[in-house]
Amino acid sequence: MEDVAIAGAGQSVFSRKCGVSIRELCFEAFKEAMEGLDITGDDIDASIICSAPEYDKQRSPAGLISEYLELTPKPSFYVETVCSSSSTGLRVAWSLVKAGLHRVVAVIGFQKMSELTSREAAERMGRGGDIIWESPFGLTMPAGYAMYARAHMAKYGTTEEQLAKVRVKNSHYGASNPKATYRKELSLDEILGSEVVTSPLKKFDCCANADGSSCIIVARGDVAKGITDVPIWIIGLGAATDTMTMSGRESLTGLRCAQEAGKQAYQMAGIGAQDIDVAEVHDCFTISEILAYEDLGFAKPGEGVGLIEEKQTYADGKMPVNVDGGLLSKGHPIGATGGSQIRTIVHQLRGQATEAQVKGAEIGLVHNIGGIGQYGNVTILRR
Amino acid sequence: MPVPGIPILEGKYPSTMDLYPLEAKEFNRVHQFYENLRQKRFTTTKCKKCGHVPFPPRVVCPECNSEDLEWVDLPTRGKVLRFTEEVAGVPLGFDSPLIHALIDLGDGRKFVSRIINCKEGELKEGDEVQLAVFDVPPMIIEKKGVMTEAERVFFAFEPSKAEVK
Repeated sequence: MEDVAIAGAGQSVFSRKCGVSIRELCFEAFKEAMEGLDITGDDIDASIICSAPEYDKQRSPAGLISEYLELTPKPSFYVETVCSSSSTGLRVAWSLVKAGLHRVVAVIGFQKMSELTSREAAERMGRGGDIIWESPFGLTMPAGYAMYARAHMAKYGTTEEQLAKVRVKNSHYGASNPKATYRKELSLDEILGSEVVTSPLKKFDCCANADGSSCIIVARGDVAKGITDVPIWIIGLGAATDTMTMSGRESLTGLRCAQEAGKQAYQMAGIGAQDIDVAEVHDCFTISEILAYEDLGFAKPGEGVGLIEEKQTYADGKMPVNVDGGLLSKGHPIGATGGSQIRTIVHQLRGQATEAQVKGAEIGLVHNIGGIGQYGNVTILRR
Repeated sequence: MPVPGIPILEGKYPSTMDLYPLEAKEFNRVHQFYENLRQKRFTTTKCKKCGHVPFPPRVVCPECNSEDLEWVDLPTRGKVLRFTEEVAGVPLGFDSPLIHALIDLGDGRKFVSRIINCKEGELKEGDEVQLAVFDVPPMIIEKKGVMTEAERVFFAFEPSKAEVK
């Protein structure tokens, strides 16, 4: 069977208020993904639309987006795993191509969060938990990750200052990302001095709700070679689902869904953590990036903070992570985020990164988490 | 009261916006949990065949598929292991501070719950907390055009009061 590659990758500008409708938002990412490819919309055999449905008035957005991008009558359908929806979309696209059902599949992720106030958005997001047993407590992502932070602090002595250093790094790179919501460098003092959101997490420990879209064009290997000069190969895929309830979790010091997904992806790719040249991890909160270092084996459990202390996750370090600014700078338009992370790694492996290029990067990893650690997706790409 | 911009919602019960579960027996098979909660009991199901005690309660044992289950009491007091006080951007329908805690209920059972009746800055890791049951808005059940209200309770934990012991 043929291998599967990414031929094109695009995203819209991520912003607090995009001022356009979801179909218009998706077109921006689609347009960028198709730029320079030797195909037209007619060559796309299927489209997978990814978002978290709670934010939209529109139900069943797949048909709508498909029509607006003029992809009809090719099949279009919806995939959802909250914040990791578009990574799950990529997994489905890979399977469809690998199975021989389609040659070229577009994975389009989007979210327009600005139609709701942040407290309304929090309430809707809470319904991404268990609506009988936990949502009625008002439990949402920030509070859930705050408890992971507390548990990590209690077990390993992790400090608020160490968490803040993740934001210092990501804000440094985000400052030069033209697609990011926040393009301002933040100092350690500014981060530590920002107001508390949910203890111990402060405003600058948290990513922001945003509007945005992403698009990944997945193609059968031989087709990809024909339509782009530099296909990026999908060599590892991992996915896992942990309990919906936080009460059901074995531990709060790491995300089991990420550990499992990482293991699968490394095994499929036949490589280990030491072979990764550059990574995008799901830093919805500063603690999430530290958990990712450990869950992915970049550091041993409890030693993740060493990587940020020693600046090893900067672009010139041993293990560059989120050198496009991460979710913390880019903002987090739920359904679009995974595709945006994939796009960054595609740019890195092609040597076209606009923020900070990791020299000679050949293998990249994307870690994309849905909910409070419910859905884990890890994708490994090679030039 | 009319909802601005959405006049059709006047007098309607928008069930998908309801914060609390459909507790009435017409809508689920664990309604006994809520009946017990009214008696200030925190309960779940135990499998009479294999002895498995999952939480949340089940209608079929997930370990051995037996339907022969009985209701058993869980501890109503526990110790706070970890907690967070959410003070900004709390979800609609909740007030700040919105406190969540990982509670050790003993015998290896941990539970994540909201903590109520507690001011910001008061709670500490290691504090004892106890079950708190409170009324929540009734659910509207419509049968053949007739609307009836089904009373509901929900629960959280609160700091233990020495005098209650």
